[in-house]
Amino acid sequence: MKIPRLLQAVLVLAGVYFGFIIVFDVILGAVIPASLLAMYMFFTTAGVFMVFTYDEDQTRELVAPIKALVEDPSKRLWRNIVFAIVPLAAGGFTYVQMQPSFEAPLELRTIHPAPPSTAKIYGKRVNLLKLENPLRKIEKEDPEKFRELVNQGAAVYIQNCQYCHGDKLDGNGLYAAGLNPTPLNFQDVGTIAQLQESYLFWRISTGGPGLPKEAAPWISSMPVWQNFLKEDEIWKVILYLYDYTGHRPRSWEHE
Amino acid sequence: MMDRGSIRTVLIPVFAASFVVLSFGQAMAKDGDGDKGEAIYAKRCLQCHGEEGDGLGPAAERLNPPPRDFTLGLYKFQSSAFDADLPNDDDLFRMVRDGMPGTAMPGWGDMLSEQDMWDVIAYIKRFAELEGTPEKQIDYGSQVQSSPESVAAGKKLFLADDRCSECHGVEGRGDAIKKLKNDNGERTWPRNLTKPWTYRASNDPKDIFTRISAGIPTTQMPSFADPKSKKKLSIEERWHVANYVASLPKTEKVVRPENTVIKAVRVENELPTSPDDPAWDKASPTTFFMLSQIVGKERFFKAANDTISVRALYNGDKIGIRLEWDDRTKSIPGDAKAESIAEGELLEDAVAVQFPVKIPTGMEKPYFLMGDAAKPVTLWRWSSGTTEEAESAAILDAEGIDQQETRDAAAGFTAKGSYKAGTWRAIMTRPLRTEAADKDLQFEEGRFIPVAFFAWDGSNGEVGTRHAMTTWYWLLLKPSTGAKPIIFAVIVALLIGGVLVWWARSAAARSRSAAS
Ligand code: HEC
Ligand code: HEC
Ligand code: HEC
Repeated sequence: MKIPRLLQAVLVLAGVYFGFIIVFDVILGAVIPASLLAMYMFFTTAGVFMVFTYDEDQTRELVAPIKALVEDPSKRLWRNIVFAIVPLAAGGFTYVQMQPSFEAPLELRTIHPAPPSTAKIYGKRVNLLKLENPLRKIEKEDPEKFRELVNQGAAVYIQNCQYCHGDKLDGNGLYAAGLNPTPLNFQDVGTIAQLQESYLFWRISTGGPGLPKEAAPWISSMPVWQNFLKEDEIWKVILYLYDYTGHRPRSWEHE
Repeated sequence: MMDRGSIRTVLIPVFAASFVVLSFGQAMAKDGDGDKGEAIYAKRCLQCHGEEGDGLGPAAERLNPPPRDFTLGLYKFQSSAFDADLPNDDDLFRMVRDGMPGTAMPGWGDMLSEQDMWDVIAYIKRFAELEGTPEKQIDYGSQVQSSPESVAAGKKLFLADDRCSECHGVEGRGDAIKKLKNDNGERTWPRNLTKPWTYRASNDPKDIFTRISAGIPTTQMPSFADPKSKKKLSIEERWHVANYVASLPKTEKVVRPENTVIKAVRVENELPTSPDDPAWDKASPTTFFMLSQIVGKERFFKAANDTISVRALYNGDKIGIRLEWDDRTKSIPGDAKAESIAEGELLEDAVAVQFPVKIPTGMEKPYFLMGDAAKPVTLWRWSSGTTEEAESAAILDAEGIDQQETRDAAAGFTAKGSYKAGTWRAIMTRPLRTEAADKDLQFEEGRFIPVAFFAWDGSNGEVGTRHAMTTWYWLLLKPSTGAKPIIFAVIVALLIGGVLVWWARSAAARSRSAAS
């Protein structure tokens, strides 16, 4: 059986429409914005129209069912039904479109912006490209002393960080629910496991306000820890973050 | 990266379901190996509960409630009878697995295996040499299902002889008239029973029954099953009270994380001038979590308030905001009763609303914690007053948490508060537009305006940078859409209908003329 041309065109459009939705919403996991979808569908419709009206015969074939509906006296019942539904649907669509939207504006921010090459920390200009955790080497040299340093880092963490980042370092502290952006989850493989210790040192000492604009420093509640902690306390808490989660910092050698 | 919010929404029902299955009835207590538990304790618990199990970890000072002292062998949430001298192992297991909401004690069920948890429990029991099983259990009789009659009976018993209201207040908001201390001499506040997310166990009637029957050891929450108690309750009565307490949480004051916009509703007449005017109900409330101010100098770790509910109305020339937050104490310095329950020096209660000076055009806003020099903010502030001075309203220009200047009674700004049964209501009104456009936000319909909130509990030592806070949310003056959409909808429908009819008619005429 031959599928009527009009139905073919409608099927192609529907296929493309659901294709977009499946690719974006299901596979990519990000709902496609309505305006973007509308634009894609506009171009698709134009394309389909051009293909289906390539020459006169095809055009005639395409519009034949519509023509029949309007002109064929025997299709009177169908005509009346369609003529009632189409204006109502168009009116309803207009009504919905004219309702103002009260969705909060989307705030896109970069979670891990590129760090500056140097930053002013504790009153000194620090070269972040060369910076290393001065305590890291003790891990091999003196494991017992290293354990002691990790424990001191744990005390710093419990006194200062767990309210937001959580006792389990999972970003789920008592106050996390009141914060947006949410405190980062250090157990996740997408945070400290991807970063160098110098990056953490920069982030911890300069906090939310130290971020560049693309990371929206004005909404980050991450405190500026150089105001509260000593330099070696920050290095110790960094040891603790890696020790507790079992992640390893990224280092220059592996690049 | 996976979206944490969606993970949480998936996990919560799963946890809740497993919790319901496991928490009641006796879960199978397992023998733990205390020696294995020691290593787990050292890594996961010692930081708070201390090397000696005495609860004196490095953060003890900053946590309210402080971590449990295991050397006493006393536990708060036990299902053994009030006169049993130790809890069931299952009680400990449940607290370790599920954690204690509203405290720093997290649930470990997602990080430790069941065996790990039994091992660590075997270890913590060693601190007090707890051994054996309790001799007496709570007698639950047969559960009375919740019904309007049972809830009404429970309410009577709750209030009779000031049984529960003595500490929990007549509406259950924990508005104490007594200064309560736990066995260690630390200040404790009775639970606000209308906030289900602060129950350490849960607000299921069976859990509430358990608390009323066993009391909460080490705190002043007594057992009402104790025959020696003058206010004791029979099993059936305890079920009624439990059903009543479980019915207390008010749904409209619950935080819905997806609600980040306060929608101000347009009214045609004057804005209400009293905090308790029912006209405020025209706007539905939006509720936000508050946290302690632990970000800027000087930090504060034990804020008393944890939520604030906001409604807003506006008309042609003014905007009005009503803030509502639970506060156990009406802090009016000079008032003898308030002085007697305050923690430390009694100060005024206060609340403030923060706006940017200008509605941002792009993403960029002022720093959420009271702005900075580059982008200042304005604060609308109300304070409760003292016995000598009336309540006050002020506008502050702020460039940081410790950089604020109070403006003299500015620009038609007014504020007023009222306190009832553990809840403050404060209203603030200001003209939509003012003369000082360089300092004051000029409101516009239909624009998303950043807004944040701060609250001070004067009975909890909160003043200056010591307060509760939110981060930025949005305020929207919702324009009334009027008749426009419906008019346009009708026009479009008529046009299209007309075109279709004309098309069919002319086609019919054509075929007729072709036929003739
Ligand atoms: C008031 C809540 C709060 C406290 C307290 C806090 N943080 Fe944060 N932190 C955040 C938030 C929110 C973010 C995410 C936003 C951002 O990147 O600035 C964050 C981000 C971070 C990051 C960036 C991680 C990454 O993957 O880029 C590090 C590292 C960090 N915090 C460490 C710490 C340490 C160490 C402490 C304690 C000394 C601490 N934080 C205390 C809220 C907090
Ligand atoms: C960040 C701090 C913190 C950590 C880490 C912590 N706890 Fe707690 N824990 C607390 C606090 C605070 C309380 C007291 C809550 C209260 O009194 O309402 C508590 C209470 C308890 C209780 C008492 C329950 C009751 O009914 O009284 C047990 C048992 C307990 N913790 C076990 C553990 C175990 C086991 C670990 C490690 C796996 C652990 N805690 C880790 C803070 C912590
Ligand atoms: C003498 C004061 C006092 C009286 C009387 C009192 N309570 Fe309490 N109640 C408290 C305190 C204090 C707490 C908080 C204990 C803590 O630190 O966890 C509490 C906590 C609670 C909790 C919270 C349980 C949880 O899971 O977190 C419930 C429920 C409760 N009380 C119900 C009642 C009921 C019902 C009555 C009357 C039958 C009552 N209380 C009478 C002081 C009291």
